[in-house]
Amino acid sequence: MVIGEAAIRAGCRFYAGYPITPQNEIPEYMAEHLRQVEGGVFIQSESEVAAIHMVAGASAAGARSMTSSSSPGISLKQEGISSLAACQLPAVIVNMMRGGPGLGNISPSQGDYFQATRGGGHGDYRVIVLGPATAQEMADLTMDAFTLADQYRTPVMILADGMMGQMMEPVVFKEPQPRVYPEIYIMKGAGAGKSKFIRGLILDPLDMEEHNWTLDRKYQVIARKETRHELYGTDDAELILVAYGTGARIAKGAIKRLRNTGLKVGLFRPITLWPFPTNELRDLAKKVENFLVFELSTGQMLEDVRLALQGFARIGFHGRPGGVVPTPAELANVVTRQYDRKQGIIEHH
Amino acid sequence: MNEKKERYEVILAGSGGQGLALAGIMLGEAAMLEGKVVVQTQSYGIASRGGLSLAEVIIDQEEIIYQQVQKPDIILALTEEALEKYAAWAEKGAPVFYDTTLAKARAGANLTGYPFTKMASDLGNTAAVNILALGALSAAGRMVKTESLASVIRKHFQGNAGELNLKALQRGVELIMRP
Repeated sequence: MVIGEAAIRAGCRFYAGYPITPQNEIPEYMAEHLRQVEGGVFIQSESEVAAIHMVAGASAAGARSMTSSSSPGISLKQEGISSLAACQLPAVIVNMMRGGPGLGNISPSQGDYFQATRGGGHGDYRVIVLGPATAQEMADLTMDAFTLADQYRTPVMILADGMMGQMMEPVVFKEPQPRVYPEIYIMKGAGAGKSKFIRGLILDPLDMEEHNWTLDRKYQVIARKETRHELYGTDDAELILVAYGTGARIAKGAIKRLRNTGLKVGLFRPITLWPFPTNELRDLAKKVENFLVFELSTGQMLEDVRLALQGFARIGFHGRPGGVVPTPAELANVVTRQYDRKQGIIEHH
Repeated sequence: MNEKKERYEVILAGSGGQGLALAGIMLGEAAMLEGKVVVQTQSYGIASRGGLSLAEVIIDQEEIIYQQVQKPDIILALTEEALEKYAAWAEKGAPVFYDTTLAKARAGANLTGYPFTKMASDLGNTAAVNILALGALSAAGRMVKTESLASVIRKHFQGNAGELNLKALQRGVELIMRP
């Protein structure tokens, strides 16, 4: 809902999607409100695959475009996301993750981290992945997603979960940034000029290689310039939790409890999941030896944390996959047990 | 429950179609009118009718970090399934209000049954059960003022539906105030 309103305020004028729980609040909102703004188009498509390709078409025609779904539906969209990346078309894709694999269930989960942060579809590409933790951040990051998508001409994914998809909090909408984008690629009729051609099919391997390196250079710029994270209680921390999205909210709740019992625990919360704030996390390892990754999965972001910290710090893990949302009290107990070990946290996995 | 608390954790449980998500949203909006910080979460099955449906509302004076109810202060259960799930909280001291039209009557401390659905039906429409029960719940738990809920109802419903829901709210409040 908040994502829908933020998107419209950010200038989104095309939405296509196919219903799936727990994210129907977004298409429901778009169906009602997008048609009330000039040029707004809402389409409930015949499938997820159709929706993402409609988004590609609308984007190529110059509209700020968006689709949303939940885990199984996002899997279906991957062909189109790969295509968007190949064609360098801006688009915003929202994934309200639910328990998987397969059809799984409709409870909040974080099992799609690998899929989202490693591109998701086939081929050598990445999408920018933003992981909001509050309704306010869903509003802010949705607006930012459209800006980033235009700036880098690339699909941007908002990776949240069923909890956030079905949650309401008071929100203040910021002023949307004016749209700045290179109109040169937009297909709106050649007129008297030269015709344009947007394509992902490049049959000559050498040309395709060059295209891959072009994309890669862009991803390197993004990785250098666009990482975002939040630190919470890390100044005096002896142990730092690493968590994102709903997991980070649980972690903050746990930290509040732990601080009341005198344990110095902080939080590192990646806001961009790709690019992952590797250097910022590694910086913390200069002062802190013990890290504990917490995810609503069997351990996916854990791998990025290992890439950042392996050899610099001890890394523990606590995960609850399958749609289980543990309480801050449970996580606090886990941390207390780990903290008690005088030799530090022993990695288990 | 006579003293005003700083923080309230509320559970509204029942079946899909009873309007509990909307009741949760309206409770949250009423609290926002009073300047409180609010989080509302909802969960429901894959069907639009039937299946356990749940709305949780946390009302606080300060930032709410974790968005789900951990220790409910007050619970509404509108079906037998919902009551079975939450009756145990009554033993731990949380008042549980339940619908005797749809759930079996039970004896026990902190368990209070009213025929919410039948009362809504008597008022003219069973669909008003959510507001009627919310009226009783907020009168008992004092999470928000009745007037705040009335303002929110006026915002969400116009015409006959508005009047029916305001009547339902009043009926619910009276259950507690003038039993």
